Amino acid sequence: MSLNFYRRVAFGLSPNEKPDKDPLNWAINQLDTIPDLLWPGTIPTEKDLRKKYGEWVYGDREVLRKKFKNDKHAYRKAKNELRIKTGERYFELNEHAIRHFQTKYSKQPVFERFWLFWGNHFAISEKDFLAEFSTGPYQREIIRPNMVKTFEEMVQSVTTSWCMIHHLDNSESFGPNSKKGMEWGETINENHARELLELHTVSPNAGYTQEDVIQLAYIMTGWAHKWDRKNLETGDIWFDQEMHQKGDKIVLGVKYKNDAKRELAKVIHDLATHPICIKFVSTKLCRHFITDEPTEEMIDPVIEAWNKSNGSLIEIHKAVITQAYKYNEITHKFHPPEIWLMQLSRMFDLNIPLSFEKMNYTFKSKPNNRQRQLSWILREIGHSPYRAKQPNGWSDLEVDWVSPELLLRRFWFASVELPMLVKSGNRSHGFILSCLKNNFEDHKNMASLIDNFRFGTSDYDLGQKYGVICNLPGVLKI
Amino acid sequence: MNCTRRNFLIGGSTTLFLSGYFPKISFASMQKKNLIIISLRGGMDGLTAVPVIGDKRLKKLRKKLILEDVLNLNSDFGLHPKLEIFHKLWQKNQAAFVHATNIPYTGRSHFDGQNLMETGAHIPYKEKTGWLGRGLLASNIIGKGLAISLPMPLLLRGVPQNNNFFPSPDFVETKLIDQIYNEFKGEHNELIKSTLDTIRQRPLSMQIATDSDDRKKLALEAAKQLKDQSGPRVAVFDLDGFDTHAAQGGVDGAHADELEEVNKIVTILHENLGQAFDNTLILTLTEFGRTIKQNGGYGTEHGYGSAILMAGGLLKKSQVYTDWPGLKKKELFEGRDLNSTVDSRAVYNSAMSICFNQDPEFLRKEVFWGDELPDLSQELFKI
Repeated sequence: MSLNFYRRVAFGLSPNEKPDKDPLNWAINQLDTIPDLLWPGTIPTEKDLRKKYGEWVYGDREVLRKKFKNDKHAYRKAKNELRIKTGERYFELNEHAIRHFQTKYSKQPVFERFWLFWGNHFAISEKDFLAEFSTGPYQREIIRPNMVKTFEEMVQSVTTSWCMIHHLDNSESFGPNSKKGMEWGETINENHARELLELHTVSPNAGYTQEDVIQLAYIMTGWAHKWDRKNLETGDIWFDQEMHQKGDKIVLGVKYKNDAKRELAKVIHDLATHPICIKFVSTKLCRHFITDEPTEEMIDPVIEAWNKSNGSLIEIHKAVITQAYKYNEITHKFHPPEIWLMQLSRMFDLNIPLSFEKMNYTFKSKPNNRQRQLSWILREIGHSPYRAKQPNGWSDLEVDWVSPELLLRRFWFASVELPMLVKSGNRSHGFILSCLKNNFEDHKNMASLIDNFRFGTSDYDLGQKYGVICNLPGVLKI
Repeated sequence: MNCTRRNFLIGGSTTLFLSGYFPKISFASMQKKNLIIISLRGGMDGLTAVPVIGDKRLKKLRKKLILEDVLNLNSDFGLHPKLEIFHKLWQKNQAAFVHATNIPYTGRSHFDGQNLMETGAHIPYKEKTGWLGRGLLASNIIGKGLAISLPMPLLLRGVPQNNNFFPSPDFVETKLIDQIYNEFKGEHNELIKSTLDTIRQRPLSMQIATDSDDRKKLALEAAKQLKDQSGPRVAVFDLDGFDTHAAQGGVDGAHADELEEVNKIVTILHENLGQAFDNTLILTLTEFGRTIKQNGGYGTEHGYGSAILMAGGLLKKSQVYTDWPGLKKKELFEGRDLNSTVDSRAVYNSAMSICFNQDPEFLRKEVFWGDELPDLSQELFKI
């Protein structure tokens, strides 16, 4: 088995890890439990961060905008101070550190790869201040605990999470015949219903109609944040009967009797166990781990495992890994920038993320350059994880990641920035060679390409070496 | 048979080619035509950019957003003083505006709206390609799109081999790329290899590191590329910050700062395109306009109708092209926003037909699913 399997399903092997005798078992044994988050620094709760979110929007919208009506300069200054005080500029950096610390040091890196996958399947795209305050804790507290449950349970949790409801506007969706809908002349917002069908479960392959979208939106009415004058839109999610559309609903030919808040769980059950949903999500998993255009042959065993286990994510994950193993030698997969960075970080033991002591924040001035470094790198290589442009998240296709500028950014990172992230004890040529040997069959050929610089340990020399190594076909791709 | 413009052009040039005769007059039509789109994200306020001075209601509803020193366009419309270059070009018939226009989207969500302004569709997130990418593909113009941004904008997706320019913070040595280029072998590496080809064929000026926050430098480089007869034919700029819910202000407010950025880009393009400016169209694109009435923070909320700012030598004349819906309460969209009387996609479809030498009917079908979009080429552009 090629060593690239460790990058196909994880992040490669760190200098103190050795290849396992049975790589398939090594991978499969990582999926039964949820590994602890290892980050020794602050890990705030979703609820705490939502409170901060509230302080920030309340302060800006309800206080500052009114106070500095006529003075854009004073307004900007006050707004920046509020940003610092509420951590608006800090929490996303801390979340990136938690995330990358995990992918770098986790003893269950294969589990972590699935964590990234599901965070992106149920993507929160860039909207309002979700990236600043909410997407990180959503992935930690909603996605992660559900990864040892069933797909259906995952969909239930995601659909009623504050983050997804805010992201897709369900709090603004009123049943037109509901009490509030009638009083205020409001109607549905279909956004969340459409994405629940299109992106999260059955996909357009199910052939649903606009009427199905509307009917599902009716079922979803009432699932909203509690609004009050101080917390604004950051209150907890509840079911507001007065927003809920009365009457029976029909989605994809199935009738859902008027049953208030219980309607949603029923329709999610039907969507999450729909054969087309199972095929769609299985295909997506295979696309992520095997190849851009997986064949039915690759996908079928995953579908089978899904059906046999009634959608147990543990069993589904194991089937995906088994298939990834089976096709490892004959398929290729291009890795998007963030996974590439995580792999380099693990394989070459780079100095990211920053130590938790140095990530410590006082809420008195803006985060310093070192604290911003990892997030800045992610942005510059074009893959700031919580800032996908659309609710369909980041693409899994090579074609979406290969533009001239996006490739150049990788050259830039590896040849200019990376040398500054090499730990002082790891600057020797021998260290690079041992990392290559640990992770690549053709390490000798790779070494020959950088042999000219074998005596060099300056940043420039390291840049020449890593610039080449990190962008070779077998590193960008497996 | 209907002799469409497209047929005429193809038929015409073949005949000329066969006869070996190239009259001087055809030279202009052989010149490369450039289409430049500047995306204004956040909702550009058409009434701040091109205020209707002929209607006193605007001032009444925006007491704290009054614009001083408005540049004069005609008896009905003025121009924001920060849009100087448009005023200068207006004197030469090289600037024009379409007013009370928008994409057919009334939902007031930035995210849905921006998705639709790029896909040109009716349902958010349904289409995965942009109208400009589809227009290029339908016109068989491949590898001629240049995005001035790091990700390839949705607007340009749908046609292969686009280039983008948004240089990294530091220089990448060409020898590095050369060194690994030959390592990319086999069919599964072809995409990367051809992209490396694009990088290696870049002119020296595109290989330098620059500050990508400096829009001046980016615009300067874009102008250089567009000027080149064999260079890109389409460029896409991305600006944001138009979402001014507070302190929108008048001449020096937050919205004015953003308009100044547009002005800067167009100024640089105009100065550096030289003669090629005569064969260029620059159009802005936004997701929606803003409410007529100021809000409690002396800003404005998400609205509907906006304006398209246009510049370039391919414009027919200086004009404010509009079917003005009025600002009386009952004339407003949902009683609060400037209405949209021109589907902005008709403007973009017509602009593509001019710049890509293509029949607008054909494009309308290929790009906009045959939606009812009148051909505005006669009214707006030089044919």
